[in-house]
Amino acid sequence: MLRDNLNLAFKNIRERLSRSILTLLGVAIGIMAIVSLIAIGEGMNVAVTEELSSLSDTILVNVGDGFSIFSIGSVKESGEYLTERDISDIERIPGVKEVTTQLTGKGILQYRNSNVSVTLTGMDSETMKLRYSSENLESGSLLQENDRNKIVIGAKIAHDYFDTEITVGERVKINGNKFIVAGIFEKQGIGGVISTDDIVLLLPRDFEEIIGEKNIYSATVTVYDINNVESIALEIERIINENHGEDDFASTTTVSSILKRIQRVLDIIQTVLVAIASIALVVASIGIMNTMLTSVMERTREIGIMKAIGATNKDVMIIFILEGMLLSIVGGVIGTLLGIFGSKGLIAALTSIVLSYNVDLQPVVSLISVVLAVGVSIIVGVLSSLYPAWKAAKMSPIEAVRYE
Amino acid sequence: MDITKVIVTKDLCKTYGSGPLRVEALKKVNLVVDKGDYISIIGPSGSGKSTLLNLIGCLDTPTSGKLYIEGIDVSTLKENQLAKIRRDKIGFIFQKYNLIPTLTAIENVALAMGFAGVERKKRIARAEELLELVGLSHRLHHKPSELSGGEQQRVAIARALANNPSIILGDEPTGNIDTSSGNIIMEILEDINKKGNTVIVVTHDPTIAKRAKRMIRIQDGVVREQHVEG
Ligand SMILES: Nc1ncnc2c1ncn2[C@@H]1O[C@H](COP(=O)(O)OP(=O)(O)OP(=O)(O)O)[C@@H](O)[C@H]1O
Ligand SMILES: [Mg+2]
Repeated sequence: MLRDNLNLAFKNIRERLSRSILTLLGVAIGIMAIVSLIAIGEGMNVAVTEELSSLSDTILVNVGDGFSIFSIGSVKESGEYLTERDISDIERIPGVKEVTTQLTGKGILQYRNSNVSVTLTGMDSETMKLRYSSENLESGSLLQENDRNKIVIGAKIAHDYFDTEITVGERVKINGNKFIVAGIFEKQGIGGVISTDDIVLLLPRDFEEIIGEKNIYSATVTVYDINNVESIALEIERIINENHGEDDFASTTTVSSILKRIQRVLDIIQTVLVAIASIALVVASIGIMNTMLTSVMERTREIGIMKAIGATNKDVMIIFILEGMLLSIVGGVIGTLLGIFGSKGLIAALTSIVLSYNVDLQPVVSLISVVLAVGVSIIVGVLSSLYPAWKAAKMSPIEAVRYE
Repeated sequence: MDITKVIVTKDLCKTYGSGPLRVEALKKVNLVVDKGDYISIIGPSGSGKSTLLNLIGCLDTPTSGKLYIEGIDVSTLKENQLAKIRRDKIGFIFQKYNLIPTLTAIENVALAMGFAGVERKKRIARAEELLELVGLSHRLHHKPSELSGGEQQRVAIARALANNPSIILGDEPTGNIDTSSGNIIMEILEDINKKGNTVIVVTHDPTIAKRAKRMIRIQDGVVREQHVEG
């Protein structure tokens, strides 16, 4: 019987083709919006996770009240820094694999007689290799251990800060000392976790020469066992605060906790977007209901005939529910396909216009979201044709012989 | 209840509307129809012929009185139970054919069996058989709009027979059809009657009415038995 009912539903949909197409278009648009937003959200999640999960054994130690995605690399104005003792204490904590430090200080960058104030970041070549790869560079290379008076600079410094653009091999001065630009980071824009756009990277030895001391603004600690990351982070905080006799001299942040925070924010954004997109689906389901109600009215006689030849209320309801369901499933499938391709386009537009830099953001269409989309469209179809179907079922078989 | 009396009515009444619009379409109809009967119902327009047939066909429910179909008191049945009586025991043929316009001839016939839960293959096979019986094996896949009035009515007969009902009801089945096609329709119905089905036909045509074994005249909602001569 299902096959015949489906057949009947198909024929009725075909009979009122343009109206049916408009109706299922509504569903398609709603589902498309939901599928593409989920895909983009998932894509962002994957991109962030990929970027950060390799660092999940890492703890960032900062002077001040903690790490924010955007502020790393900026100097705490109080001028207080971690000490050599802090670092060696951290190294002694069981489970700690390696401690690398990052020195931060203010400096004046001079290029062709114009000056710009910049934040200097000092780290050894090992750390540098750990944090950045040459793929992050637009030209040149990262620093080697034996390099002297060489720097790597951010894209903004190279392209935006001075009237003439700085290229690799160019000479600049920092606080009067001569340096050669060895590498330039590519433009990162927003969206990167740790921005390199305004960075001036140099080796610790050069840093000390310019600033006069080792300003250890932050340290990066790696641990052997990822499971201990949180407890070691607490221990580090305790020891450093004790060393400096302050309750919150320094703070630690684990990359996995950053990841969790980012994911939570992404989840909220995604939920809100999907909720908004769902309004389209509600409108679509009203569309189905409207179409089905019209169809019931137009087919009063047909329904009467079916009842006259023995269709029960249930038989009639099934016929109409199936029809509504078919409309919305077809709409749902079209919407899912549009969503899959649409999200690619949307991401392309987003990355080129809004983010204006090249990021590896791919929409992720999971099987679950496809199943969900089709499932939702089935439910929408059933729910919105329930009332029209009930109206149809209630009709009397005498409708078949009326109007004669 | 004697099962050879397929239809029994006791003081069957049907009233439409209320107040000044009140119409007593049927007044205390007492009728007994035996199994295998062939009855024609005649009477002037508005006399209550269709009303009676609709009640017997369980399309409508009586205002008062009793109606037994094969011994079942259908005047007390719920809507869905009535649907099953219509499905299994009654084949209704309408003046205006009443086929589903989107379905082909064979699909129209099979649909009725679908409601009865007959398996698809059997449905198709039987629908084909029935359409052959009414002489339409060359029109299986035509839609109603592609068939003549007489052909549509033959599809309707095939559909009425689909679930093997014992009672076949026709409300002016030849009313919209020319005489020669009408004769074909009546011959088919008479063949069905010869196979043992009870046939009741409402008609305005005296020559058609006279072909029946029994003739019933309705006047102002009152039923009178009429003798069939010769
Ligand atoms: N649904 C209805 N509501 C109100 N009155 C009705 C309704 N159906 C029929 N009637 C009235 O009941 C009476 C009997 O109608 P019915 O249709 O049974 O007549 P009929 O004998 O079949 O007439 P015809 O030969 O014209 O088909 C008529 O007076 C008609 O106006
Ligand atoms: Mg009538």
